[in-house]
Order: sequence, then structure tokens, then C-alpha cells
Amino acid sequence: MCIARVGRVAQVSDGRARVDFFDGRSLGEVDVTMVKAEPGSYVEVFGNLALSKLSVSEARVRKKAWEEVTAKGGRY
Amino acid sequence: MTRKGILFHAKHAFMPNTLGYCGPDERGLIKEGLEDGIPGDSVVRTLERFEAAYPFLKLIARNTGRQVFDYEVPEAYWIGNSLLDRIPPPDFYSFSHRELQGKDHAKVRDLFRELDGKATPHHSFYVMSTYAASSEADGANVDNESEKKIGTLIDNCRISWGNVVDVGREELKVSYRPLELSGRTLALAEPRLKKVRYNPLVKPFGSVRRGAVVSLHWGYACDVLNRAQELNIVKYTLYDLTQVNQYLAARK
Repeated sequence: MCIARVGRVAQVSDGRARVDFFDGRSLGEVDVTMVKAEPGSYVEVFGNLALSKLSVSEARVRKKAWEEVTAKGGRY
Repeated sequence: MTRKGILFHAKHAFMPNTLGYCGPDERGLIKEGLEDGIPGDSVVRTLERFEAAYPFLKLIARNTGRQVFDYEVPEAYWIGNSLLDRIPPPDFYSFSHRELQGKDHAKVRDLFRELDGKATPHHSFYVMSTYAASSEADGANVDNESEKKIGTLIDNCRISWGNVVDVGREELKVSYRPLELSGRTLALAEPRLKKVRYNPLVKPFGSVRRGAVVSLHWGYACDVLNRAQELNIVKYTLYDLTQVNQYLAARK
């Protein structure tokens, strides 16, 4: 299954972005044609498609929730 | 925990893991376990690290008196069966708040409020509702092209089903009904033919024949479904579609 992930855009070129998902892996390649993403933007990504752009505060809340759950579950 | 349940779960989790969308980077391990038909402890530990699928299995298991990898538990999650009807909506709501990674609490609250207890811990519901909730945040530019992309994404990410019409060495031709998005409404389109990959080393695919019904995930045939499973995946998918469309309609 795929999960909705929050990531930070590192580079954008021709509707494709390299996105950092803060998971220690290499940057993922994402289709950002549906959102106005630029380097530094936070986006919500499902599969390989960015569905929405998040404000910094929204991204912080989501990232914190993610970290809390992963710490609780001992995953990653 | 049962070997059959672990294998069934691994078959459906394999392709999104291979694509890097969920779980740890252990595609080789899962593939090896599937081909051997004997998933070892390392495969189980890997499956336990999937960020969404494994918590869902735990939710279903603890509410139905089952073990996480009892066959009926992953079957309920990926395909759908009567175990889903036994999950109390308040537990699913609480789970969505506290145990699912990165969920926006306000959106979870809105979704459950709108659906009034009709949300199910079924993979297709998770996929469709994730789109439905996400699509609001930035007012995604939902022109025809975007709708097509979103529809394709959801169609690949949900578990669909197809009737095998031709068998190649590592490819099947199936007749299936794609899920499409049009005017912020999700619907199953008319049947069409599609080529999907399969692994002939994973049982029972070495002997798959025309007429079999297979489950599909990201263009990959996961397993051969029996008649009850075929009926259930149709039933629960249509139920999920109805609920998510209701949520989308309320936000048009």
C-alpha cells in the first residue's frame, strides 16, 4: 500500500521534483504538476503524485505526528 | 501467526514496497520469501515495519480476536471480508488519530463526522479517503488532466481485480474495470484489457489459467482469488466508493 507522506521539495524541473521525505533515504522523484511547488515547499505526496502543498506550520504538525507514531511503534 | 496469512499479506504489500511507497527497503527479502513459499522471521519483521498496512492489521486483529497474520486478517484488509463489519467505528476513529502516521487530525475528524460510522478499515477506503482529504488542502488544480492522473494513482494504489484472458511468461492480460475520477466523483469504468506483471515462481501463479480472477496492485498480479474473495472485493470496493463519493459531494 502507499501512504500519504509529507516531504520538502529540493529541486523542481519540468513538473518533476526531488523530494526529501526525512526518512534517511535518497530523495524521491515526484510529479508536482498539480501544485505550485518550488524548492523549500512542503508537499503531501501520495504514491508519486503531489496532491497538495502544505504551509510550514501544517507540515510541522504532520511531521511531528509522524515522528511520534514511529517512535511509539519503534519503526525506523 | 500463519504462513498462509503472511504470504497473502506479503503478496499484496510487495509491489508498493518495490516502488518505494511503503515499508523498509527490503524488496529482495520479500520476493525471496514469496518465491520460497516459506517466509522467515526476517520477512515477518519487514512486514511489521510497514507504516500503514501493519497498524491496520493490528486494528482488525485486536477487534476480532485474531492474530495479526491469521489469514482472514490481511484478507479483510486487502480484499474485504466480514471481519471488517466487526470493527467498532469509535475504535477505527481513534486508531486513525493515534496510530496512523502523519494523518491530519482535523481531516480525520471531518471524514468520520461526514460518514457517520460508515468508514471501514479496508485498504481501498484508506486509498480513496486519503485522496479525498488531501485534495482539499491546496485546492489541487483539478482539471481534466489532473483528474486523469489522480484517477490512475488511486486505481493503481487500490487493490483491483481482473479476469485473466491470456497468460504469458511473466505477463497476464486481464479484463478489469479501472477506477476513474470525473467531476470529483470516483467510479468504476467499463471493463477494458490491461497487461499486468506476475511472478511465475510465486504459487499459484505457475499454474494460472485463463478465466482465473486475480487481485492487482500497481500493475502486478498479487494472488488468485476464490469466488468468495471475488464477491467480497467487489462488495467492499463499491461500499468504499459510495462512502468516499458522499464525502467528496459534501465538499463540492
